[in-house]
Amino acid sequence: MQQINHILQTQGGEIVQSIGQHIGLSLISLLIAALIAIPLAILLMPHQRAANVALQITSVLQTIPSLALLGILIPIVGIGTVPSIIALVIYAVMPIFQNTYSGLTTIDPDLEEAAEAFGLSRRKKLVRVELPLAMPMIISGIRIAMVMIIGTATLAALIGAGGLGTYILLGIETNNNALLIIGAVLSAALALLFGAAIDWLGKLSFKRAGIVLGVAVVLIGGVAGYRRIVQPQTTITIAGKLGGEPEILINMYKDLIEQDHPNIKVQTKPNFGATTFLFKALQSGSIDIYPEFTGTVLESLVKGQSSADHDPQVTYQRAAKALKSQYQMTYLKPMQYQNGYAIAVTPQFAKQYHLKKVSDLQRVATKVHAGFDPDFYQQSAGYPGLRKAYNFKFGTIKTMEPSIRYQAIAHKRINLVDGYTTDPELREYHLVVLKDDRHFFPPYQGAPLMTEKFATAHPEVQASLNKLAGKVTTSDMRQLNYLVTVKHEKAATVAREYLQQQGLLSKK
Amino acid sequence: MITFEHVQKQYADKLALDDLNLTIPTGEFFVLVGPSGSGKTTTLKMINRLIEPTAGIIKVDDRPLQDYDLRAMRLRMGYVLQNIALFPNLNIQENIAIQPESLGWSRKRRLERARALLAQVGLDPDQYATKLPHELSGGEQQRVGIVRALATKPNVVLMDEPFSALDPLSRKQLQDLVLRLHQELQMTFVFVTHDMGEALRLGQTIAVMRNGHIQQIGTGEEIMRHPANDFVRGFFENQKTPRAATVQSLLAQGYGEVTTAPATLTATVTVGALAQALQTQTTVVVATAQDHRALTTADLLGYLAAKEATSRATD
Repeated sequence: MQQINHILQTQGGEIVQSIGQHIGLSLISLLIAALIAIPLAILLMPHQRAANVALQITSVLQTIPSLALLGILIPIVGIGTVPSIIALVIYAVMPIFQNTYSGLTTIDPDLEEAAEAFGLSRRKKLVRVELPLAMPMIISGIRIAMVMIIGTATLAALIGAGGLGTYILLGIETNNNALLIIGAVLSAALALLFGAAIDWLGKLSFKRAGIVLGVAVVLIGGVAGYRRIVQPQTTITIAGKLGGEPEILINMYKDLIEQDHPNIKVQTKPNFGATTFLFKALQSGSIDIYPEFTGTVLESLVKGQSSADHDPQVTYQRAAKALKSQYQMTYLKPMQYQNGYAIAVTPQFAKQYHLKKVSDLQRVATKVHAGFDPDFYQQSAGYPGLRKAYNFKFGTIKTMEPSIRYQAIAHKRINLVDGYTTDPELREYHLVVLKDDRHFFPPYQGAPLMTEKFATAHPEVQASLNKLAGKVTTSDMRQLNYLVTVKHEKAATVAREYLQQQGLLSKK
Repeated sequence: MITFEHVQKQYADKLALDDLNLTIPTGEFFVLVGPSGSGKTTTLKMINRLIEPTAGIIKVDDRPLQDYDLRAMRLRMGYVLQNIALFPNLNIQENIAIQPESLGWSRKRRLERARALLAQVGLDPDQYATKLPHELSGGEQQRVGIVRALATKPNVVLMDEPFSALDPLSRKQLQDLVLRLHQELQMTFVFVTHDMGEALRLGQTIAVMRNGHIQQIGTGEEIMRHPANDFVRGFFENQKTPRAATVQSLLAQGYGEVTTAPATLTATVTVGALAQALQTQTTVVVATAQDHRALTTADLLGYLAAKEATSRATD
């Protein structure tokens, strides 16, 4: 609870912005879906067979899993808001269409006969009799669609459309329950709130409901239009993967670029998604830059046998070369810090046996009670390789979830864990990181990735970002991560203060 | 004037109307009566073309219905439904003014018309105009249903068993109301009912229908006195109504002693005729198909008292 409060206090602005994105995305989708479904139902009202076909089609669309649908849409319309809205509209059409159609076709036949016998025109009959009588059904259809949209819109975060899903994904990714709860509770609250609003709207007369809807449309449109207009001429979009560290990095990029080039506006998209989403977004031009690790490039992005080398320099050069030849991308020089696997022990254990290097563990291998990430325990780049390289066998080994692993060592249930060199928990629990003296773990260094096209068009941006090359030590990065993910300080502030302290950014 | 010439209606499985010929003079209160499935409602709904004939011609004022613009014609015809069918989403005055609204009357004129009509049928406009239909009793709702049909001052008002769903007291009040309205407004009323008593009470001219054929057309008096066939006669007898009650219904309840004395009346005469005869005689002998029966004033009083009791109970 305390953690939730803290996050709410420090990241309130971002959360409000996410809520705004979520509402905007949901309302636009709902509106488009209603504008498709209701007229369609009215049109098909006298044609039962055609209506059944339409119902079948919308039901089939409904059954496509949302992730699959997003996957289908990405090659067609790219990443971001547009595919999210398309996917949400596709889901929302069915309940609205179905309810509107059955509302219109199940009107008391006596009333239909009366309207017919009184000589009411088709339009008059619709407006005066059929639509008002079908309204409760239509409203409940819209309500169902809306709850579905607000729920499904959390997935929009996966493809960079933002919204509350960002917090849910981030919470899952970093095992941070507070974030997860914030995202989930807020989207549930939104669903309730909008449900109530729709009920209220349903009770209004036709004319008033129209006015309210009209005002909502104008407001949303106005805000979107205003945003578009006030954007300066050159806008660069920098995105980052899920987590605190990428967010710090992209804020550093932003600060440096904007300091050097006041006419360029940098838009950051933190927690934009997982590696492949970001890479595709970069390819499609949805984003311009994102920080990527050298090791990840070789392991997951480029084709071929080239793997990470123990020499960070060699690794970077291999990655940059492969990106250039295979994807026409420019990979700028990496920063100093290395984010790779690390072996850490409790301070007591280190002190007692004078442990400084991984090779020191050979002496006390039987006294080691290790807690490993299951991946680390199985991968050849993890424990099995490590064991061979250093020729030792630990006393006991338990595999456990990454965050639980740190809890366990904090409570002295184990005395050794694997981790990433920049994990803030290393600092939080004062763990001692042992030096990989035989250079077994491949180095992972972060560097800005962009398309060649963008790099050629913006040499000035390259110049600004290169200021970071070789800067930021591993322990600095760990400290910054600690401030953001453990202390919940704002990534933008942490990044700016660090750059100022390092003399890379002038104090304002 | 509405005329049906050789009108036929064939449904997939059934001949609903067979060679129907009918003339309804302008300004008449015309009642179509018959059991269910007789084709009376089909006949009515052909006048506003809710049902189209398979063959034959229907004319209004000597022009075939097809020559009229359908919507314009319907806007000039009133229609009252059995299930009332007030639009539940519209308030009373909006319901009444639905046809004027379609005709493009000004709001002011529509509301004035609705209020005047409410007042005319004994519903206080201040109290009722803005209520919703479900807030009214069944009888009140059908009053609104009736005035809704009168809103555009139509030449023809069609009523499809409008009172069959109402309780006897409301039914009687509404029967009085439509009679009064007919006298005041001088419109052609075409009224469908399965209740012979109601037909006799309301109709200037009554058409008795059965199986898609008209059995007899005439005034109530003519039909009562000279039923064209057994069906018409039987239809009367099955409908126990104060006016139509005959001596037969009295005998059917066990009144009267079997006698060999000569009869002075037949069992088909009305109870009224029996009462008249009993003013001069202490015993009246009536002839039935089987035998003769002697009836006394006490029998008549007993019958009337029992009838009064049952009609109270059903009220």
